[in-house]
Amino acid sequence: MSPALTLARGRGLASRGGRRAAAGAAFLVLGLVLATLPTFASDYTVLVGYRVLEYAALAQAWNLLAGYGGLVSLGSAAFIGIGSYATAEITIHSGVPLVPAMLGSGAAAAAFAVIVSVPLFRLRGLYFAIGTLTLAEALRIWMVNWNGFGGASGQFLTDTAPGNHEIYYLSLVVLALATALVAGVLRTRLGVGLRAVRDNEDVAQEMGLSTFRTKLWAFALAASVMGAVGGMQAARLSAIEPYGAFNLQWTIDIVNIAIVGGLGTIAGPLAGAAFVIILGELLADYPELHVAITGAILIAVIRFAPRGLWGTLAGAGLPAPLRLLARRRG
Amino acid sequence: MDLPSGHALVTALVTGVLLGGLFAITALGLSLVFGVMRLINLVHGELIVLGAYLAFVLLEHGGIDPLLGLLVIAPALAVVAYPIQRVLLTPLMSKGAEAPLLTTFGLSVIAQNVFILVFSGDTQSLSTSYASDSVDLAGIDVPVVYLISFGLALALSVAAHLVIQRTGIGREIRASAEDAVAAEVMGVNVPRIYAVTYGLGAGCAAVGGVLVGLTFSFTPTTGVTYLLTGFAVVVLGGLGSVKGTLLGGLLLGAIESVGGAFFGDGYRDLIGFLVFLTFLAIRPQGLFGRRPA
Amino acid sequence: MSGSLVARTAASRRREREAEDPGAPLLETTGLTKRFGGVTAVDSLDLTVGRREALGVIGPNGAGKSTLIGLLNGAHRPTSGTIRIAGRDVTGAPPHAIARLGIGRTHQVPQPFAQMTVLENLMLGRLYAGEPASFSDADRDCRAILERTGLGAQAETPAGRLPLLSLKRLELARALALGPRLLLLDEIGAGLIEAELAELIALVQELKRDVESILIVEHVLDVIQECCDRVVVLDWGKKLVEGSPSQVLADPQVAAVYLGTGSASAERRRLAGARAGEGALLSVEGIGASYDTFRALRDVTFAVEPGEVVALLGANGAGKTTTARVLSGMLRADAGSVTFKGTRIDGRSPHEIVRLGLVHCMEGRRIFADLTVEENLLLGGRNAASKAERATRLGRVYELFDVLAMKRNDSGATLSGGQQQMLAIGRALMADPELVIFDEISLGLAPVVVDQLYGALAELNERGVTMVIIEQNVERGLALANHVHVLERGAVALSGTPDELRGDPRVRALYVGEARGEA
Repeated sequence: MSPALTLARGRGLASRGGRRAAAGAAFLVLGLVLATLPTFASDYTVLVGYRVLEYAALAQAWNLLAGYGGLVSLGSAAFIGIGSYATAEITIHSGVPLVPAMLGSGAAAAAFAVIVSVPLFRLRGLYFAIGTLTLAEALRIWMVNWNGFGGASGQFLTDTAPGNHEIYYLSLVVLALATALVAGVLRTRLGVGLRAVRDNEDVAQEMGLSTFRTKLWAFALAASVMGAVGGMQAARLSAIEPYGAFNLQWTIDIVNIAIVGGLGTIAGPLAGAAFVIILGELLADYPELHVAITGAILIAVIRFAPRGLWGTLAGAGLPAPLRLLARRRG
Repeated sequence: MDLPSGHALVTALVTGVLLGGLFAITALGLSLVFGVMRLINLVHGELIVLGAYLAFVLLEHGGIDPLLGLLVIAPALAVVAYPIQRVLLTPLMSKGAEAPLLTTFGLSVIAQNVFILVFSGDTQSLSTSYASDSVDLAGIDVPVVYLISFGLALALSVAAHLVIQRTGIGREIRASAEDAVAAEVMGVNVPRIYAVTYGLGAGCAAVGGVLVGLTFSFTPTTGVTYLLTGFAVVVLGGLGSVKGTLLGGLLLGAIESVGGAFFGDGYRDLIGFLVFLTFLAIRPQGLFGRRPA
Repeated sequence: MSGSLVARTAASRRREREAEDPGAPLLETTGLTKRFGGVTAVDSLDLTVGRREALGVIGPNGAGKSTLIGLLNGAHRPTSGTIRIAGRDVTGAPPHAIARLGIGRTHQVPQPFAQMTVLENLMLGRLYAGEPASFSDADRDCRAILERTGLGAQAETPAGRLPLLSLKRLELARALALGPRLLLLDEIGAGLIEAELAELIALVQELKRDVESILIVEHVLDVIQECCDRVVVLDWGKKLVEGSPSQVLADPQVAAVYLGTGSASAERRRLAGARAGEGALLSVEGIGASYDTFRALRDVTFAVEPGEVVALLGANGAGKTTTARVLSGMLRADAGSVTFKGTRIDGRSPHEIVRLGLVHCMEGRRIFADLTVEENLLLGGRNAASKAERATRLGRVYELFDVLAMKRNDSGATLSGGQQQMLAIGRALMADPELVIFDEISLGLAPVVVDQLYGALAELNERGVTMVIIEQNVERGLALANHVHVLERGAVALSGTPDELRGDPRVRALYVGEARGEA
């Protein structure tokens, strides 16, 4: 082949079309691996995979709120807990199968988001964060003390728990939907508006945007994903009780994973979840050390690599194809 | 919900106000740090718990009374806090409000787990001879530690007030809180003021920790509850006001206590949070605060 | 209210427009007033903007111009008065409703959505406030606007990376994306160099085809002259004078408000002048500094001899306050050096510089309202070696400004503007400085009060305090100084003694803009 042709070929690969194709290919490969994992991996790996996908979905939802919308909510546990209880109650009382019950969970969580948004959105920035944290904690205390829904000891679900493979695929679907949701929103008017609210809420208003409605959409959408995951969790455990369902640890883990992975990027949540969960498995014998190390990593990331692991890697020149997956925050 | 008797109500009110002293102390450090530096110190709860653990160690291994031990613990905590502020937090303060907030969040997570590693997850308390005593105050049964809390709260608040309003360094703190740039141009070493304030906040947390250990029990994760009640007090009483923090604490104590009398003890915290949330939405500057949210 | 103001479809929009009164002016304010605490920023203002008209609004700093824009676009709620758009009362409507009614604005300091691309910055307004459109239609329209405003090549650039002129173009483009009927331009000429200004003026003139009317708030009088049909002059929040640009700019009242009255110059005190033989006290060489992408200082060079009074003059945005900030350590210079008493001080922190004897009496006073008058002063004197020393300094300040002595235990917030300025000066003096930078002490104060302040300054100089005086008001600066430097766009454009510069037409040109070259 003549040198001229070789050169032209090389340039072709580096062209935009070429990069897009390469990115699409990489994405496809990843998708294939994830989709077929249960067929070749051990039960333990599938279980770890489920946890990674579950947390990735949660972090993706939080990413929509905090990464793209600038709304740092510390109340994720509330939505997860509501979702858990909703699925439990629905399946116990009506025998509806899991998937529709999860949809119900999503709706319940979204409804809660709408109700609390009116007072909550009067708060900005740090006050908003504290307000969400307090709300979630208040809800937890309420559920622990109130005798409805089984009170402090909780209830058992009547349906049998889904098996390993089933729950894995369920979480894969939830993650795919959550990612599609975020990616989709970003392409709509809402996505533009949300990022404008993040960058400068007052000026966004001057551009004709009703910032309340924009924030509410993001809040409700994120809540619905978290509710659905909560429902999935309840089914998996075959039992619900308030300490676990509304545990602050959910919120802490989500914040950790989302930031370490990379806020404001589509692939960040998955990267963060993989990193944190797998690190946890490696340190499985030392659970406190694991959480402490995660905290230290969080601090280090904020100080030195604020775009998160994925955001920084992608910005620092990973092979071109994968760069397109990241919509950087920096 | 059973309606409490008149006597029970009065008891709840009185003990609630006295206990409110504890809330005020646990909130004082938070209030100072937020009022001066606009930093929400999410690791404050863990500083309180650290104070309790240190007192526990001194008590169990040295037989030293926790209140006496404060003479060592409070400065120790302040010394630990100073570099945290200077090295970790100050460089981040120019990068927007979320970065220091999330850093203290990370520190909180680390601290909780270090506690579990070092002290185990068991529930502890400071069992001194007087920890479970009570006195009879005009027919009302008042635990001794509540009185101590109230007394210390008054003393600390007055001391804080005097320092801030009457001393040179207090002047510098107030100036830095109002307009840090102007203060620096006037010659105030603002980074040092911030670190001193943070240290003072940690010292107050130590006192709060000892009282918590005496009055209740504590675990590595108890800090979160006191962080939230601390916020509730600060918002109720108003930002940047020592008097407000004291009164906010007493008020919260009364509300929680009376609420508990009506709805049951388990709901105390919840009622406190609901009141907090209401204030946050309706009157974020609290009772005595000047700065609007 | 907003519900009824917002037309949701193109059809309802058209219906609304048809229902409007074509005789009513596009914008009309009646008795518009805005108070912030004790300060009345806009005072019973009656203003109209007609159809197809470009109205200019000028006035010295503190006259209320920016507040006016905030009121008109809904960012501020009026304290009283009404605002009507095409006859319809919109007083108190929230910003997003006003935007949808067709009012677009630019910001004095550009506020882009930094992490979104230039195109996305426009898409927002187009999708939410413009005529309802699909994404692809909006995309096409926005790209067209970008081409017209010269930003076509930067459509995919993150807005945070643009240089200043592009950011200003973006402000314009973004406002245009709303499809506005009335465009509010807030000091769009600030900080631009001559060539950039000419481009911007050309752009604004072209834009008169796209929007019905424009309201331009400006300091740079070239823009006013070239672009406006009518001009209103504001002073103290009230309308002073109204007329065509040439009428207004020739009006002696207007000149007085900007340049200062002649009477101040009659008070020529005998000034100490420089103490010879000691070498320069302060030496500023080739200073450059930026705020993000905005190059505020390019090359500032001057020296101050001990005992001297040096005046730094220049129009708004010329770099006077930025220079002061570099000198006192608030802002880091990225070029050049500052030497004080033989030591390099650039790069040092402000409190170190104060300890060396250089104090900055900041623009806008910045006194501490939380502290009493005496506490403010004591704070300034924290460097004193002993309590006795501090007490002595306090005594001297009270002697200079006896009203401060009377109000020593009152909170700083209760003082009037003039008293606050005295407090700020006194506070600076408490550090027993060798050199004080007085930054715009006459801002927003009545002439009588300013006379008093400058009298105090003259007294101080006689006692041996070296001074750098930053002034917008030319006459005041000339009256007191031994040496004058006039800044323009971040560099020293003219230097000389007051006598040399007083007659120089270039000074007047820098402020009132006459006899400029072609636009």
